[in-house]
Amino acid sequence: MSAPLRLALAQGTIFAETLKALEGVGLPTGGLSGHRRLLVRDDDAEYVLTRPADVPTYVAHGAADLGMVGRDVLLESDEDVIELVDLGYGLCRFVVAAPVGSLDRSLDEYRHLGSLEVATKYVRVAQRHFERRGLQVEIIRLAGAVELAPQVGLSDWIVDLVSTGRTLRENGLAVVEEIATCSARLVANRVAYARDRERISALAGRFEAWAVGRAGRGSMPAAAASR
Amino acid sequence: MVTPWEARSGIWPSRGIFEASQLHLDGEASFYFGDGGTNTNDRGGTALDMRLALPQGSRDILPTEARELQAIRRILLEAFGSYGYVPLEPPTLEVARGDGSVDERRVLRFLDRDGSLLALRPDLTTAVARVVAQRYGDAAEALRLSYIATVFRQEHSMRGSEREYDQAGVELIAPASDGRATALADAEVVALLCDALSRCGLPSAEIDIGHAGILGGFLDEADAAARDEALARARSGDLVGLVAGARSGGLSATRVDLLREVLRYRGPIQPWLARREALPSGSARAVEDLAVLGGLLEHAGTPLPVRYDLGLVAPFGYYTGTIFHATASGLGLAVASGGRYDDLLSRFGAGRRATGFAINIPLLHQAVVAEGWRIDDASPLVILEGGSPEHLLQAASALRRAGLAVAIGAVADSAGRPTLALRVVDGERVERDGRVLPLAEAAAGLTAV
Repeated sequence: MSAPLRLALAQGTIFAETLKALEGVGLPTGGLSGHRRLLVRDDDAEYVLTRPADVPTYVAHGAADLGMVGRDVLLESDEDVIELVDLGYGLCRFVVAAPVGSLDRSLDEYRHLGSLEVATKYVRVAQRHFERRGLQVEIIRLAGAVELAPQVGLSDWIVDLVSTGRTLRENGLAVVEEIATCSARLVANRVAYARDRERISALAGRFEAWAVGRAGRGSMPAAAASR
Repeated sequence: MVTPWEARSGIWPSRGIFEASQLHLDGEASFYFGDGGTNTNDRGGTALDMRLALPQGSRDILPTEARELQAIRRILLEAFGSYGYVPLEPPTLEVARGDGSVDERRVLRFLDRDGSLLALRPDLTTAVARVVAQRYGDAAEALRLSYIATVFRQEHSMRGSEREYDQAGVELIAPASDGRATALADAEVVALLCDALSRCGLPSAEIDIGHAGILGGFLDEADAAARDEALARARSGDLVGLVAGARSGGLSATRVDLLREVLRYRGPIQPWLARREALPSGSARAVEDLAVLGGLLEHAGTPLPVRYDLGLVAPFGYYTGTIFHATASGLGLAVASGGRYDDLLSRFGAGRRATGFAINIPLLHQAVVAEGWRIDDASPLVILEGGSPEHLLQAASALRRAGLAVAIGAVADSAGRPTLALRVVDGERVERDGRVLPLAEAAAGLTAV
């Protein structure tokens, strides 16, 4: 197998850390700095630069062998990929949040009306969570600024992705419960992982060592928490 | 007279019968089914012409592709037949059992006239297990059954996947008395898969073999809930969560490291046979099983490379032993998968061991076409033109008896087959390239091509 491995990289908030990770494991990153082009070919690797939500799609269909993307995206995408390494950065949490002090009122409403309204961008995550909890909710899909919804009476609760929790606090919301903690992952296509195991495993090992080293340096508590 | 309700609950699913929550999970799905031309469209506005619309995930297979698929099916049936497998045709509709054999969310279900819940079969293995329990419950000998059939799976919309596609597969059901001759059966089935794929022309194919007991061994001491969660993680590909869960679930550090190493291993089985003492006992037994299978496969003359992938996870809950899949280069999904399912038949009341596989025919077709496979057209389709209707029929009949495929008049689609036009002079002669030939001579010239 001489063709270089193809990696789908999520552009956006985690991209800077992804670059560090690639450098850290000795992959070429020279062509990525300007990132105007969406397909970057280097000696040992080929990069596909995509929207985060598209990374699982590229990888699941085998259009990329590997991907670097947040677990939050994986949970929402429902695509079939293999998660090989917790890269440790891009730490965030899926939470259920409600206006401060409104929990009792909304639970009372639930008893009387039998359903709660939940606004979210992450429909699958929210649906799966409430199914598991046995709570009947009506999901309201929004494209962004979800924290606004309870303030104007669009929903009782929200399901959102938070990193520091500042946005929630500024909008008078408090976490009701945590759904999942997420960080960036190295993912692989199932067939690529089977057929190209040696190269992919070796690379995964390097990423893992990098993530452990990064946690050791204390750049963020992320990888430590996941260990 | 069909009442609206009967139309809704008959064979043809109409809108609203499938569970809406599944179809509209992501809000972008919108399914339409032909409803006799009433042309309703509750999205309003300009939309598809409902007379031409197909449900999402359905498509027409046009002649060129259909002919290639037919050729592939024929090759597969020949391969299955050469190992003594006999065909079985279970029905398309089954009673919805919810036995957990496949992901329940993916089963297409709807109501029968009497209100009972029906399912379009999501796989054939479960149906075969039912047939065996019902029809061959008393048979002492082995059963070798094969099928080529359409399966139906609900897929999320806009994923480029199809909701119905053909599978070709075999199931080898062990003799009732046979307690343990499982390795021979597994070897036969794996060898047949190799044989079938290479007969279709898939030189890049590789077989990976794993064992459900490998991961199972590491989970033996976990409680049921933890084991279910670990298996669910493994199945969904979440190796990070699987290892993290094992660690927090109290597995010792050495065991966790071993688990990670095992999950990543792909190669020959012998190194792990030598190290089996280090493994949990269930995993060690699985490695021994694989080593026996590997030894047998060396004698089976398998034409494809076989490797052992200890991290391979059973996609369905019913697999209990050996599991395997076949991959081809350039395809992101496995072309075929299978394994041993010793408990499935007992769920239907027949305690028989069994092993089998299913090939995804559209994927196999995609793979062989990518590798340059084309139907070998030995003779063209003869197009007869000119002449009186009587002479056309007479000439066509004579040429067909000589072994040629003959169509009267030009065709809009020959399914990719080359065509050759002959002009009929009279009942005994045709004209080819300006030369008038007796039918026998023309036929001899064409079949020899």
